[in-house]
Amino acid sequence: MEYFKNIFHALYTIFVGMKITGLHLFEKKVTMQYPDLVHPIRDGLLPPTERNRIAVDMDRCNGCGSCARACPVDAIDVEMIRVVPGDEVPLFYDGTPIKTWVTKYTLDFAKCCFCGLCIEACPTQANRMTPEFEYSEYQRDKLIYHFERLTPEEAEEKKRKWDAYQAEKKKADAAAKSQKNETK
Amino acid sequence: MSETKTFEIDFGKVYSERMRLNVGPQHPSTHGVLRLEVELEGEVVTEIVPHIGYLHRCFEKHAENVTYPQVIPYIDRMDYISSMNNEFPYVLGMEKLLGIEVPEKVQYIRVICAELNRIANHQIAIATFGLDSGAFTPFLYYFRDREMIITLFEKLSGGRLLYNYFWIGGLMHDVHPTFAEDCLEIVKQVRKTNDEALDLLMYNKIFVERTANIGILPADVAINYGCSGPVLRGSGVPYDLRKVEPYSIYDKFDFDVVVGKGEMGTLGDCWDRNIVRVREIYESCKIIEQAIEQMPKEPCDVRQAVPKRIKPPVGEFYCRAENPKGELGFYIISDGSPKPTRVRARATSFVNLSVLPEISKGYMIADLIMILGSLDIVLGEIDR
Repeated sequence: MEYFKNIFHALYTIFVGMKITGLHLFEKKVTMQYPDLVHPIRDGLLPPTERNRIAVDMDRCNGCGSCARACPVDAIDVEMIRVVPGDEVPLFYDGTPIKTWVTKYTLDFAKCCFCGLCIEACPTQANRMTPEFEYSEYQRDKLIYHFERLTPEEAEEKKRKWDAYQAEKKKADAAAKSQKNETK
Repeated sequence: MSETKTFEIDFGKVYSERMRLNVGPQHPSTHGVLRLEVELEGEVVTEIVPHIGYLHRCFEKHAENVTYPQVIPYIDRMDYISSMNNEFPYVLGMEKLLGIEVPEKVQYIRVICAELNRIANHQIAIATFGLDSGAFTPFLYYFRDREMIITLFEKLSGGRLLYNYFWIGGLMHDVHPTFAEDCLEIVKQVRKTNDEALDLLMYNKIFVERTANIGILPADVAINYGCSGPVLRGSGVPYDLRKVEPYSIYDKFDFDVVVGKGEMGTLGDCWDRNIVRVREIYESCKIIEQAIEQMPKEPCDVRQAVPKRIKPPVGEFYCRAENPKGELGFYIISDGSPKPTRVRARATSFVNLSVLPEISKGYMIADLIMILGSLDIVLGEIDR
């Protein structure tokens, strides 16, 4: 008796399940035909808070390195150099001069964990998140994005100028010091 | 390995040898990169040794070299299915250490997010458990619903899985204007799918035969091994940190602690552990509805209590919260600098996995997969 009862129970529960799946046949489809029919960027489906690839607006960057310090995975590398007095001065987006040249700003998206901490840390709102998410590469070094506007030669030139200025200043300081001592 | 046994079965003599079998680390039923070294007597499991560490990412050592807010993205990656719940004990503990009072609305948003993520986690747990037993349809229905929760979190924080949404002293962004309606819509859909899953999966005779009386975990063994969450409650122990030690604002809500009752077989079997998860989804829905009703309507700056520089006083604390998988706690030692001296995580899955060799001895190898599925482990949390 128990045997037949079990068989009946199994068949009954199977039919209950079949009923539910049968009703689901007539529901709305939920599959999104990405990327042909539906594309999140093209159709504007991404929310404004979306955290994807980071873009850096170098018109706003003064190379302070807050983002590099805020990054938990050290994906950002920033180097800057002070402007030598008398040399041409880089301008901020609103036309005010900045006292520094950003000689290096690289962001390694192979390391980036998209936590968004660099965006909060930036004092001038230079970093921002873009909705771009399709940027896979076959080589890892192509994922290292260079944002600095100076070429390596120009950066070298600025560095050389600053070093020369420092050396000159040091010499002048020493001369002034010795002169001071002599007058004493 | 070497001993040979002879069995007399009605169709003749059968020779059986003790055999060592590797399950994993790339096996789909081990729920991640877990390797099980199983010793078999024919088809019966006699010994089982879990090997872990394939996903070890040095969370605890790395946390010593980053500042306090930078630890949160790492905590997200521990139990990557329920990131919101992972952040909860950490930020609560840090706020206690720093003496920060967070706005009331922030606390409500946190509770709603944590409960939504608990629903998402239990949906994955039930769905993949059904998948282990061969039920594919509930998996599709649950993942369809989980997509709604993930989309809501994406609107809130910008991330689909790793949120970094709870900050020390506040939240990353304020909620969008239609947050309450979205939540209520999700709750409605989740309840509907859960009702269906009860009929489709849980009370199905084939599923009951596979899971009832399998992997029986008595209450005393569960307590001795330090199990928590649905694994412990499935054995009939009504222990839920949200009720026992109400953190945040959980004392304002009316909900029940779900325990297993041994309806289909013995108390503490695989079926009991799973039905606890299904019923907890209903309880989470209740909490979300109450929280949305009580939540202050006026807008509030969710970052008003976020400190500019986090430099906690010298001290140490342990703060714990009820993760979907059980008790998750962080023991943090501060030496007064902006970086923690030590961050120790009491990972739930790690403790819950330790009970596997105890409860799976004497069952068939097919049942071992079911027992492992009913423990609901995540390897990101075990290896950290």
